[in-house]
Amino acid sequence: MSASASEIIDPAKVHLWDRGHHGHDVIGTRTFGFWLYMLSDAMIYAALFASYGVLSHVMNMAGGPMPGDVIRPGYAFGETLALFTSVLAYGYAMAALRQGRAGGVAGGLLGAMIFGAVFLGLVGKDIGDLFAQGITPERSGYLSIFFTLVIYHALHIVVGLLWMLVMLVQLVREGFTGNVVYRLVNLKLFWHFQAVVWVFVFVFVYLQGVIA
Amino acid sequence: MTHGADNPLEHPEVQLANGRSYLLVYLFSCALLGAATWLVTRQAMTPIGLFLLTTALAGVVVVAQGVFLLHMEFSETQRWHTVSLVLFIPLFILTIGLSAWMFHGLYRRTMLMPEMPAPAAAAPAAAGMPSMPAMPGMQR
Repeated sequence: MSASASEIIDPAKVHLWDRGHHGHDVIGTRTFGFWLYMLSDAMIYAALFASYGVLSHVMNMAGGPMPGDVIRPGYAFGETLALFTSVLAYGYAMAALRQGRAGGVAGGLLGAMIFGAVFLGLVGKDIGDLFAQGITPERSGYLSIFFTLVIYHALHIVVGLLWMLVMLVQLVREGFTGNVVYRLVNLKLFWHFQAVVWVFVFVFVYLQGVIA
Repeated sequence: MTHGADNPLEHPEVQLANGRSYLLVYLFSCALLGAATWLVTRQAMTPIGLFLLTTALAGVVVVAQGVFLLHMEFSETQRWHTVSLVLFIPLFILTIGLSAWMFHGLYRRTMLMPEMPAPAAAAPAAAGMPSMPAMPGMQR
């Protein structure tokens, strides 16, 4: 790299790049890459929230149910508690990982899965009740985006629960290897990010839907 | 993001975990969103007041979760995570804000609002506006 202009270089012996391993931070690089992926996922949420802002206009109720007929803020707060408790349990799993306690990590994962499943059950019952009343996505533009937002978030929770199940198996089979640890860190990013997104869904769709 | 430790448990991103701060932000988030829910169900304020207050509470909760759950800080480990999030936020706000603003204007200029008077009654108010030619399939 420091060759002067007058130095003669043999092309056959030149190395244009270094293939060697010099303590590259694999965990940090993969975590940062996954974080960028999460931000791109958040742009999909941005598109959905933009659609919600457009389709929550009274014109798009199309004479069908209004937000006040669809939303139960108290029930949605119960969903919030379940999801936040799941996130807390995963946080304790990470605290146990820091201390190298496999039992604590497994317990935290199980707790996060249980409360995540409770959240999914509450969301599923809410959607089922609305469907039973004939309140379905095709009734109006507002209902289309309402169900799309809620179900899109719920699908993330399903993916997170499956991922936790896989990590439990890998934890038992492999222990704290580099691969298992970076996947647990990435899953922590994914799971905690769902809590942040839910704050937007809960406040802007549920609470402010009732206000409107 | 440089790191040379061989033990993955000693990685700085693993060492960021803190059970106490997770518990604090959990209690804080539940309390603030619980208060927002209570205010909305009780209709304790005017609609615009509730709108502003719930938006502010959501903002506080999101910032708290960003700092204590996602560890958005400027340490060597998290610096680029934080920078990428900060650069992402304007895109997020512009995507939502510009779409809402654009369609708000579009609705106001093109849609017959349910609460507005019928077109015949509204015609005198629009007397100064140029009339549109009738198009096939256009509803008057």
